[in-house]
Amino acid sequence: MSSSATNDPPVPPVVLGTGNNILINPLQRGNLVLDCIRNVGKEFGDIIADYQVGRTTGVLFLSLKYHRLHPEYVHIRVEKLGHSYTLRILLILCDITEHRDAIRELTKVCLINNITVLVAFSFEEAGHYLSTLKQFEHKPPDMIKERVDKDYNAILRTALTSISKVNKTDVETLRTSFGSFANIAKATPEQLRNLPGFGQIKVKNIKNTFEKPVRNNA
Amino acid sequence: MSALLPYHKAILERIHDPATSDLLVLARGLGLRRIICTLMKIYESPQNLVLLVNATPEEESEIGEELGLMGCRKPGLRVLGYETVSKDRQDLYKKGGLVSVTSRILVVDMLQSDIPTHLITGIIVMHAEKVTALVLEAFIVRLYREKNKTGFLKAFTDQPEHITSGLSPLKNIMKELQLRKVHIYPRFQEDVKKSLERRRADVVELSQPLTESMADIHHAIIQCMSTTLSELKRSNTTLDLDDFNVDNAYFRSFDLVVRRQLDSVWHKVGPRTKQLVNDLGTLRRLLYYLLTYDPLHFHAYLETLIASNTTSASGGTKQHQSPWLLTDAAHIIFQVAKRRCYTVDSTTKVQLPAVIDLADDEAGWEALDEIENTASTSTTKGKEKETRPFWLPKGMDPVLEELPKWNLLAEILQEAEEEMLRQKALRKPITSVTPGTETVLVMASSTRTCSVLTEFLSSIDHDAPNGSKGRRMMLQKLRLYLWWKTKLAQRKQDGKSHFALPVVGGRVGDGFEKLYYGNGDYVSEALKKKDKEKAERAKSRRRVRGGAPAAPAPSQRDSSSKNDSHDSVMGAIQTEAESFAEFWESQAGGQGSSELPIELADDMISLDFESGAFEIDFDAHYGLLAPEQTVLVRAYSDDTDDRMLAEIRPKFIVMFEPNMEFIRRIEVYKSSNPGLAVRVYHMVYGGSCEEHKYLAGIRREKESFERLIKERGSMLLPLLEERRDGASDAVIKTISTRIGGGRRELNTQPSRVIVDMREFRSTLPSLLHASNLLVIPATLTVGDYIITPEICVERKSLSDLISSFNSGRLYTQCELMSVHYKTPMLLIEFEEDKAFTLDIVSDIKSYVKPTGKYPQKKKQGSTADSDHTAMLQSKICLLTLSFPRVRIIWSSSPYATTEIFKDLKTNNPEPDPAKAIAVGADDDTEAGAGINAAAEELLRCLPGINAKNIKHVMNRISTVRQLCEMDIFQVQDLLGVEPGKLCWEFMHRGETNR
Repeated sequence: MSSSATNDPPVPPVVLGTGNNILINPLQRGNLVLDCIRNVGKEFGDIIADYQVGRTTGVLFLSLKYHRLHPEYVHIRVEKLGHSYTLRILLILCDITEHRDAIRELTKVCLINNITVLVAFSFEEAGHYLSTLKQFEHKPPDMIKERVDKDYNAILRTALTSISKVNKTDVETLRTSFGSFANIAKATPEQLRNLPGFGQIKVKNIKNTFEKPVRNNA
Repeated sequence: MSALLPYHKAILERIHDPATSDLLVLARGLGLRRIICTLMKIYESPQNLVLLVNATPEEESEIGEELGLMGCRKPGLRVLGYETVSKDRQDLYKKGGLVSVTSRILVVDMLQSDIPTHLITGIIVMHAEKVTALVLEAFIVRLYREKNKTGFLKAFTDQPEHITSGLSPLKNIMKELQLRKVHIYPRFQEDVKKSLERRRADVVELSQPLTESMADIHHAIIQCMSTTLSELKRSNTTLDLDDFNVDNAYFRSFDLVVRRQLDSVWHKVGPRTKQLVNDLGTLRRLLYYLLTYDPLHFHAYLETLIASNTTSASGGTKQHQSPWLLTDAAHIIFQVAKRRCYTVDSTTKVQLPAVIDLADDEAGWEALDEIENTASTSTTKGKEKETRPFWLPKGMDPVLEELPKWNLLAEILQEAEEEMLRQKALRKPITSVTPGTETVLVMASSTRTCSVLTEFLSSIDHDAPNGSKGRRMMLQKLRLYLWWKTKLAQRKQDGKSHFALPVVGGRVGDGFEKLYYGNGDYVSEALKKKDKEKAERAKSRRRVRGGAPAAPAPSQRDSSSKNDSHDSVMGAIQTEAESFAEFWESQAGGQGSSELPIELADDMISLDFESGAFEIDFDAHYGLLAPEQTVLVRAYSDDTDDRMLAEIRPKFIVMFEPNMEFIRRIEVYKSSNPGLAVRVYHMVYGGSCEEHKYLAGIRREKESFERLIKERGSMLLPLLEERRDGASDAVIKTISTRIGGGRRELNTQPSRVIVDMREFRSTLPSLLHASNLLVIPATLTVGDYIITPEICVERKSLSDLISSFNSGRLYTQCELMSVHYKTPMLLIEFEEDKAFTLDIVSDIKSYVKPTGKYPQKKKQGSTADSDHTAMLQSKICLLTLSFPRVRIIWSSSPYATTEIFKDLKTNNPEPDPAKAIAVGADDDTEAGAGINAAAEELLRCLPGINAKNIKHVMNRISTVRQLCEMDIFQVQDLLGVEPGKLCWEFMHRGETNR
């Protein structure tokens, strides 16, 4: 991003700081993203990537505006990055309207070089990505895993809302009207249609889910 | 089936030739279905295979029935759905005849060559107005024309207003359908005019003025609408404002127009603008309800509206008040609407309707105390009015204004009856057989209006003076209303589930709540209200407790000061509700008011017999009632009305609300039944939005026809280019200079992508095909798209992404992809024309915090973590950290995705379908077989069933319902002891007779 991109500094070894801070490549000095990285410590250090947000995670930052002017910059950086980290991320700041071709090209480049793309749409968002990556460095993925220990109502809600067009209100209506899941399964279309907020399509979806064969050998 | 009219014949003559392909645009109400059915009858033969696509299920069954009536019963129209097994489908196609197919199935069949595309005689496309480059129908046409140049394609539409997309909308449709001929038949076309105007129906136009109070409300709503509109204009200077006037705002499509204009910047518009757009919809609905709802329902609706507007869904005070709520006009609406229902003053009559501002609390309490004192003595007063129902709270004076049209209807019916008698007397000597039946057909806009009308007619009091003929019904409704209010008060106390004002005519009993309100919005309003009431409760309850709970608290409600805050309005509603509640309790004498609904319910059941659900029971009624002297109330629907008219053959038709299409239907009906004297009564509220809307509707249709005709005159149709053979391209793509001199054989196969069967709901497969990729449908266990043997893509739209993050599904999917493929990819696809940014997400689900909020939470380090959990961006971060190998594709539209896919395919070998299907499905004996995706999704959510045993379960049961009907041992047998018990208990929890 920064204009000093072309002055190649001597390739430093990966410096592991205290481990609690995001390590920032001095090249990034002046980048507006720096102000948006909050809640984690920052320190400058000699690293290959632009930001080192974990022992094994390196981030390259690219603003599409800059990319449009200097299309070769990112390739140089990617090449230099090589296989240094386990998780290599290219954080793209989408700040132009003609983003389609640029993103397509970068997607391809990153696929070849085993880099994951993240797209941010503002400096705020980019900063948020960086700080979250650091914060979540050692976080187990429970947050996005399937949760099993839920109470009855929650399970019922998830189960029934998986049918398209059925919302939480409808689940509540179904529960109070029919009592149990099994009874809902047995409800006739007429009964369903008389519930508040149940139109033909919703009723049909529900009936299809419960009564169409699970295997149809299509 | 009645004979075809001359213009029907003319149209058929032009389009029937199986050698040509045509698009027919016909004005609504002129009998499009009749034309389609006749056409299908012409083509019906086992030698032909004619497909009907894009028909709704209702249309399918209606067309099937009509074809049956026309004599094509063997085998008639057959309908193919998901449940038809692929082998059966193949047989059916081979046998020929008329087949209606769901677009998604047809696409898959065409791609898999299950259907002999080159042998298709022709395709009939319904709803051609909806065809764009992105829909499946366009895909079907492309596949069809690829292999079949001789078959015909007939497209039909009767919605010229909807052909508006882009600069040359008609051309776009014709291009997608690969058609070169279009026939346009508006009502003003010469043939149509000639056929219909030979015999005019006897039309009596009745312009009913609004009552004074209705006119007041009407005027006030219009005023609010123009305020809101000008507000909207002021806050969005970039909008194209030509279409923004009150006239257009009458139509539902107006919201869409506004949304479409704002869509690309929707993430940037403030909540205020969003609120304004919503408000316009609310106001439009109000206008409609004013003219169709009875005053009590209207008032109840307003009350919920205020309630839902004073606080946000989360319970706090709402930040952005709807501006119209604060205007004087809104105040008039609320005041007058209430005055139409009842007035409340003290029974002593000593005290005039006190004007008490709630801010002036002391005066309020004084008034309350006074009432309390008088309440004990006022029992004697009750005897004065003997007609006064016992259940009416003291101090309440029912006004119960009736809709003026009800009276008019009663008069008309009387007139029609007399006319019938007169005619009978006249005709008897000559002939007893006259065309048409004695049924009087009353048409209204919604089934809801229908049920109210039926109720009115069955409880009508002919001797009463004008304006109170439906007094009995209105009192009944008032009682229901009061009961509703009571419930409202109770409900907050025990925090019960939501509750809506029941409608007489809805079905009752059978142990389930029959409270149907006919309108989904209302329910959610009620829900919101419930939430907010909890918050409101503390405030208003204090106010009441101090006063006299046993007595109605009357005076507060008449506070007419204009600067009433909504708070106090709400307070008043609350107070009312609570006082009614107390009243009911005392009335019921310890029995608890919960018995009341049953009593009321009985009444409703008896009414229900006549009013019922028209759509379902129509035929039953039809058989039950004697044809003479009956009044049939029905709602306007689509082309089905034609057949209804032909079957009922009424001589008297009352149009309770104006409807352009139905007038045409009557014209057609009249013209095709020579010698039938039809009299039509056409009711309009003079000078109301109803009239405007009707006229504007006619104008809009006319204008859109003119536009289409103009476009047809100047249209440049492109020569349809042949689809290029992908082979030459593919050769270049797969030769790589890196591979030494031809060691590898040239890949002469065209590039291909394997697509999961379920993905055909989205637009991407169609676009992939359009860009010369071979699309191979398959049932995949892992991933949605297999691009190369190594790259597997899971596609998520924004809403999908959020829900699958929440359910944890995405994690499982990524896990699976990582196991089986070298390069697993997650495709985040944004919509075309929508903003390419994640911020918009905060809009879809409010719990995703907008990005602007990070700075606040950074300050409290400990709470930051919990805040993070809600954010989509954080979840993406966690996903990348958990799966360093999963790549993410950010695509701004399906078009961009296509380009990216093509890019990724370059220099890579083609994927193998057989391998792709087998991946991850080792334990699945029926790999590749079709599954009911919705059912699978549902099963997956049940406790005891997980990703590992779901396949097993699905192989063992036939339907989800079957699983529900199993006893505990069978379920345990299926899932194992512990999970089985869990699952069974989940399914049967809440049943009383366990």
